[in-house]
Amino acid sequence: MEKTIKDGVESLMDYIMKNCLWQFNSRTWDRVEQNKNILEKATQIMCAEEVSKDTPSERYYWAEAQQMVESFLETFPWIKTMNATEIKEMMAGLKKRLDYQTITGSLNKELDDPNY
Amino acid sequence: MSYHEFDCSKCIPERVKHAVDKNPGEELSDALPLGYLNTIPGSLSERGCAYCGAKHVIGTPMKDVIHISHGPIGCTYDTWQTKRYISDNDNFQLKYTFATDMKEKNIIFGAEKILKANIIEAFKAFPKIKRMTIYQTCASALIGDDIEAVAQDVMDEMPDVDIFVCNSPGFAGPSQSGGHHKINIAWVNKKVGQVEPKITSDHVINYVGEYNIQGDQEVMVDYFKRMGLQVLSTFTGNGSYDELRSMHRADLNVLECARSAEYICNELRKRYGIPRMDIDGCGFEPLSSSLRKIGLFFGIEDRANAIIEAETKRWKPELDWYKERLQGKKVCLWPGGSKLWHWAHAIHAEMGLEVVSVYTKFGHQGDMEKGISRCEVGALAIDDPNELESVEAMYKLKPDLIITGKRPGEVAKKIRVPYLNAHAYHNGPYKGYEGWVRFARDIYNAVYSPIHQLAFVDISKDEIATDQSFVTRQMLSDGKLSADVVNSTVLHEYTGEFDSLKRLRNAKYPEFPLQGKLAAV
Amino acid sequence: MPCELKEKERTGVINPIFTCQPAGAQYASIGIKDCIAIVHGGQGCVMFVRLWFSQHYKESFELASSSLHEDGAIFGATNRVEEAVDVLLMRYPDVKVVPIISTCSTEVIGDDIDGVVRKLNEGLLKEKYAGREVHLISIHTPSFKGSHVTGYNVAVEAILKHFAKKGESNGKLNILTGWQNPGDVRTLKHLLSEMQVDATMIFDIEEFDAPLMPEGNHVAHGSTTIADLESTGSAIGTLALNRYEVGKGAQYLETEFGVPAVIGPTPIGIRNTDTFLQKVKEITGKPIPASLVKERGIALDAITDVAHMFLADKRVAIYGNPDLVIGLAEFCLDLEMKPVLLLLGDDTTTYPDDPRIKALQEKVSYKMEIIMNADLWELGNRLQNEGLKLDLILGHSKGRFIAMDSHIPLVRVGFPVFDRAGLYRQPTVGYEGAMLLAERMANVWFADMEYTQNKEWLLNMW
Repeated sequence: MEKTIKDGVESLMDYIMKNCLWQFNSRTWDRVEQNKNILEKATQIMCAEEVSKDTPSERYYWAEAQQMVESFLETFPWIKTMNATEIKEMMAGLKKRLDYQTITGSLNKELDDPNY
Repeated sequence: MSYHEFDCSKCIPERVKHAVDKNPGEELSDALPLGYLNTIPGSLSERGCAYCGAKHVIGTPMKDVIHISHGPIGCTYDTWQTKRYISDNDNFQLKYTFATDMKEKNIIFGAEKILKANIIEAFKAFPKIKRMTIYQTCASALIGDDIEAVAQDVMDEMPDVDIFVCNSPGFAGPSQSGGHHKINIAWVNKKVGQVEPKITSDHVINYVGEYNIQGDQEVMVDYFKRMGLQVLSTFTGNGSYDELRSMHRADLNVLECARSAEYICNELRKRYGIPRMDIDGCGFEPLSSSLRKIGLFFGIEDRANAIIEAETKRWKPELDWYKERLQGKKVCLWPGGSKLWHWAHAIHAEMGLEVVSVYTKFGHQGDMEKGISRCEVGALAIDDPNELESVEAMYKLKPDLIITGKRPGEVAKKIRVPYLNAHAYHNGPYKGYEGWVRFARDIYNAVYSPIHQLAFVDISKDEIATDQSFVTRQMLSDGKLSADVVNSTVLHEYTGEFDSLKRLRNAKYPEFPLQGKLAAV
Repeated sequence: MPCELKEKERTGVINPIFTCQPAGAQYASIGIKDCIAIVHGGQGCVMFVRLWFSQHYKESFELASSSLHEDGAIFGATNRVEEAVDVLLMRYPDVKVVPIISTCSTEVIGDDIDGVVRKLNEGLLKEKYAGREVHLISIHTPSFKGSHVTGYNVAVEAILKHFAKKGESNGKLNILTGWQNPGDVRTLKHLLSEMQVDATMIFDIEEFDAPLMPEGNHVAHGSTTIADLESTGSAIGTLALNRYEVGKGAQYLETEFGVPAVIGPTPIGIRNTDTFLQKVKEITGKPIPASLVKERGIALDAITDVAHMFLADKRVAIYGNPDLVIGLAEFCLDLEMKPVLLLLGDDTTTYPDDPRIKALQEKVSYKMEIIMNADLWELGNRLQNEGLKLDLILGHSKGRFIAMDSHIPLVRVGFPVFDRAGLYRQPTVGYEGAMLLAERMANVWFADMEYTQNKEWLLNMW
């Protein structure tokens, strides 16, 4: 099944927004960390690269990423036809979309409150 | 997404930004309702107060504690027997409530003396209970009683008791949510770290933001135990005071209701490095993903997979029986804070329901981000709804079912929309695989009630059908189904008990001997 | 004297019988047509009370909040009352009566609700709502005084003070019902109509039992109109059925308009209903008709079937609103039962002066305790730790766990009753009420006999 990178980004974005919660922690700094780390690890997993999971927080990011990638592969079999470069391009596009919706373009006024 | 103007709220234009229609092609960055702002006076808002959020939602589910409110009698009375947070401690926390019963002379001269007398009286009346939580109310906050000092006095005199003071008077914030925040921060500041727990597993979690409504917590803890996890504490459903003082020793905080308890998770992450993992215990897919994620974190995903497989096999044919019959039914998902996003996608994907509206009584913009993301295009999302807006929305959207609080459910009933209780459930628990089927069953019973159909007949005007002396739910639900579905031998109705919790309370769990860091100890 | 009146000895409350004043004021307000009260305080003061009413009635009632938040608690919040009135009047065009009910927080911060009402009457109502009939009534009900019983009393007085007018004597009898159910109001109306008495029911809450209709929105609401309230000043008399709940209002009408006030009795039981009818006859001059003799006879017949055989010597504890408790105790005594513990739940100081209580103290010849300022732990503790033996408990649903844990059947009566279906439709007053009460006590006892296998075969041949 052919899928353009752009379409791929949309499918993954839609999946994350419907099923995941990790992108919605309540502060900007938290969302920046969550998006960066989880998508980074997800990319590594999808490209069969080494993933660091030594510290508790790394292990957490990895668990989220691993579970998400397992679901991706079940729901979107066309990912398996993509090579590492395409995957990385797609995931970079996904991060851009997600960062915009949940951080830079978000209308949630509480995000910049310094305290939790 | 565009802002939604209610006809009944045209005269209070500030309401426009509190409701949004999810239109095709639009995203969260286009429009998001405002949230957690001061309430408009006189609007008949659904909101409650910060004392409720602290004492009733989070505090009182703790089962081995005397919960006493320092103030006049009403706050205590109102929060006694008005929720279904059960426990396996013979429901002590449901049966007994305590109040210092402040009177006029206490308002004038202070009430610290009667507070102290009350604390001692309460411990004396229940000598087996050695823990207490004292809740400030509007009155005691305004007269400035130093509850902490009095509590400390008693703890000095009675060294075997421990007392937690929560200062969250009713006016402290726009809604219940202010109270959640206050008690979260107070607990982590004052009590976490005081008790060193016995560690019995390599894999230790706190289960946070779960209040054991009708046994939800016990259902989930059953899965956790089958995975060999030690649930160090639950914040706070079926929870124990001293276990909650040892939250700092967990490896992972599993968080359900982020609205009420993300604060303590974030503090524990900051202070002790314990990661926060948000999960959904509702719906087969979300629950399976959640159990798998927890399993992955600990390297025991095979144990999670075993549970997922067994439970899905047992209960999916029953869930699907209801899914076939609930396809296309329209629902207004109108809970308090987080169920709009826990349930919106799951009830659509797994029960075929069309969620035509979501709302949140006391949630923040983050809850709306989650909720709107998880519902479909066309849904109406409302923040801090009031009664006229709810009625207008129901007339416009014509839902087949409302999932909301008990009293707004009565409003829905009057315009012939059946309701299910979002806060306390009808016949729950609703978490877990079996629970989700119970939820589907309750929805089915509400939507296809023959009595509900009869409510639409006007015997003074309409043709009265005299050929039917009864109608069954299946006669109403199965008309448009294919013969295959109707005659299926695989799909069938719910076969569980009235009380699905009984067998869990007697369950035995596998042993998982310690192997890791503490094995040598 | 074996019947003792005493105060609860503990300082605090464990398992309250009563709630606070604002709840009482809110219950009064929902009895009036086209009335939505604004409770000036935290949102909980309204949200929980609306829930409380909906638990009892399985209906929703309209009540608003001024939504006191932190800034209001510090700087004062009368502006929120002003805003609340404006928002309410804009969005509910039919509303005519808006009680402003204070709570502990707003009384402590000293918000002047009387002043706000004056300001709104002079300002907003004249400017924005000129030509619209709106009645703002300030009602002072801080929660650190009294209970929902006194709150109701205070509210009824305030409402009558606002509306009652002097006019030509209208030949009507004012009935201040007190805290009743729709079933009670229906029965009172029936008794009065049999006597051909024109009565003004304050408050007429028959419509609280609202129907599910094929069209429209049929919210539950009271039917007492402004005209009804105005007419109270021109009545030929006021019968205040419950001293602690409506005594103040009746006194006011007598003092201000010379409308003679008759306080009590609560028409619970045959004897008190007889007295009630006698008082109606005295005030109105109307005779008691034969139809009521027959109705009384039906009740007596039914009660006779259960009284000396089954109810005699049953030991019973009673808690709830004080007039209800006293009325039930008196009826139970006529039924040969033994009320051994009466719990009166607030700190009203005039209980010792109540002639009904004095009568109990003088004439009851077995051990009876009447506890003032009581809570439900007074009952629970005696059962769990002091060996109290009971056959039945009469009271509202908040005592259900005590009854269940002690295995003593609870006959639900009073407010709130949320764990049984439809009891608000049944009267506790009048001949019908007496009959249904006696039968229900017997039936509850019978069911218990069966489940505890306590001579359950006795009922084979009854």
